[in-house]
Amino acid sequence: MYSTELVVQTFISGVMIGVLYALMALGITFIYSIMRMINWAMGEFYMIGSYLQYMLVAWLLGPDLWWLAILVATAGVFGLGLLTEWSLLKPISSKAAEVRSDYATVITLALLLMLRSLATGIAGPNQFTPGSNLPIVMVGPMPMAGARVAAFVFALVALGVFWAVLRYTWYGLALRATAQSRVGVQTAGIDVLRVDRVAFGIGVALAGLAGALLAPVFLVFPTNGLVTTVKGFEIVVIGGLGSIPGALIAGVLLGLIESFGAAFIDSAYQNIYGFVLVLLVLVLRPTGLFGERGREA
Amino acid sequence: MAALEAIGLRKRFGTLQAANDVTLSVEPGEIRGLIGPNGAGKTTLVNLVTGVYAPDSGEVKLAGQSITGLAMHEIARRGLVRSFQVTRLFGNQTVRENLLTAFHARRPANVDGEAAAERMIRLTTLGPLADTPAKKLSGGQRALLQMGCGFMVPGSCYVLDEPFAGINPVIKETILEMIVEVNRAQGAAFLVVSHEMAIIRQLCPQVTVMMEGKVAAQGTLDEVARLPAVVAGYLGKALE
Repeated sequence: MYSTELVVQTFISGVMIGVLYALMALGITFIYSIMRMINWAMGEFYMIGSYLQYMLVAWLLGPDLWWLAILVATAGVFGLGLLTEWSLLKPISSKAAEVRSDYATVITLALLLMLRSLATGIAGPNQFTPGSNLPIVMVGPMPMAGARVAAFVFALVALGVFWAVLRYTWYGLALRATAQSRVGVQTAGIDVLRVDRVAFGIGVALAGLAGALLAPVFLVFPTNGLVTTVKGFEIVVIGGLGSIPGALIAGVLLGLIESFGAAFIDSAYQNIYGFVLVLLVLVLRPTGLFGERGREA
Repeated sequence: MAALEAIGLRKRFGTLQAANDVTLSVEPGEIRGLIGPNGAGKTTLVNLVTGVYAPDSGEVKLAGQSITGLAMHEIARRGLVRSFQVTRLFGNQTVRENLLTAFHARRPANVDGEAAAERMIRLTTLGPLADTPAKKLSGGQRALLQMGCGFMVPGSCYVLDEPFAGINPVIKETILEMIVEVNRAQGAAFLVVSHEMAIIRQLCPQVTVMMEGKVAAQGTLDEVARLPAVVAGYLGKALE
């Protein structure tokens, strides 16, 4: 018999990691819904977020100001996103609509390889970890690493802010409108290329935030974005590409499945359980839980 | 000074000369009809004027200022507003949110958006549907809403591409009234593309006829309808 305590603990840790996966998936789905392109270099922005967090904590701010480091690291990735969009992706907009996503795929894949090699070249193949002096926290009867709890709370706040901006600000309205009709917003007088830039910035900042938050848990190394990116895409398939609630719910679902699989079946296969769910969704509901049947142009 | 001027516009798609030296001028406060058989280049002209395509040559002026080659959103912000044959609404947003998006795109920080949206909901007679997502509206209601979005911020010139196509008579009448009301209240100029001759006769003192990418005639509808070239363009040349 399994104890109730173990079930509860597994559930809590599943939800906590699921929310962080959801950040990643949200970034992918958000960029897709506005720009109609997949950013394959999402994991590299996660990686940069984690390196920034490490450098800020280790060299500049110290572990007590970890929260400030997270804000600065996220803002840094946001800025880098704006720069990337402006220099590499905006020129694509002059190409015919049918080939834009092909160009974007080539460019973001090249960016993935370049950023990963750059990180290896500069920091070497080493693993770093930003020190955390957060105490163990009791969640109910269970002890939890402080860094994990902090990451969870921070992610929830970030999701709340993201939702409020989309829901209650006029720029959020413009972002939602752009996701539905790129021609329509231009007719209304919205500069769609600027919306693209901001959306790309926000999307990669979500990945950067996840990287900064998970740096003490999953460590900092050149390819640390790989696993989270794969999970991000799993979630997007499960939840439905372009669906924000889908990303959140599927994120938590994936966290739970991994957590329960690891606790009750075998922890060696932790990264495999999600794929079972992906396969099931593809067979039973190919558009994902919340996805809409796609239509080009 | 003309509200909207197209001067010698040319646009080629592959081997098709879709606009061939099109010159057209709409005066302030005028409601001009633009008619012509299918494929005459009416929508191409609309797209050239509103910045969807840049012309190969020629110039577009809005109230005397050149807007040639500007991006669509720039042209919209300068007060040239268009509607589409196929409505471009934001399907998951409610009627009210669609109107607010159209408002804030040009007046980002203005707080009067809600009041303007309320007025427009009354004018479009979409009151009971104000909080319904646009994708649930009928074709006619969508056309009304699109028109309402265009009128949210006073513009100087409106280009309407087939605003009456495939719409039931009651809503046609409402759209007609909106155009007349906005024209009267704001003194705005209109260029209306339509195949509905009865409405064009009622709405437009002057019409421009396009054929094969060129302006073929201009005058009152009854004048141009008698021209042999126009008749031939619509019905084909008489058999020898």
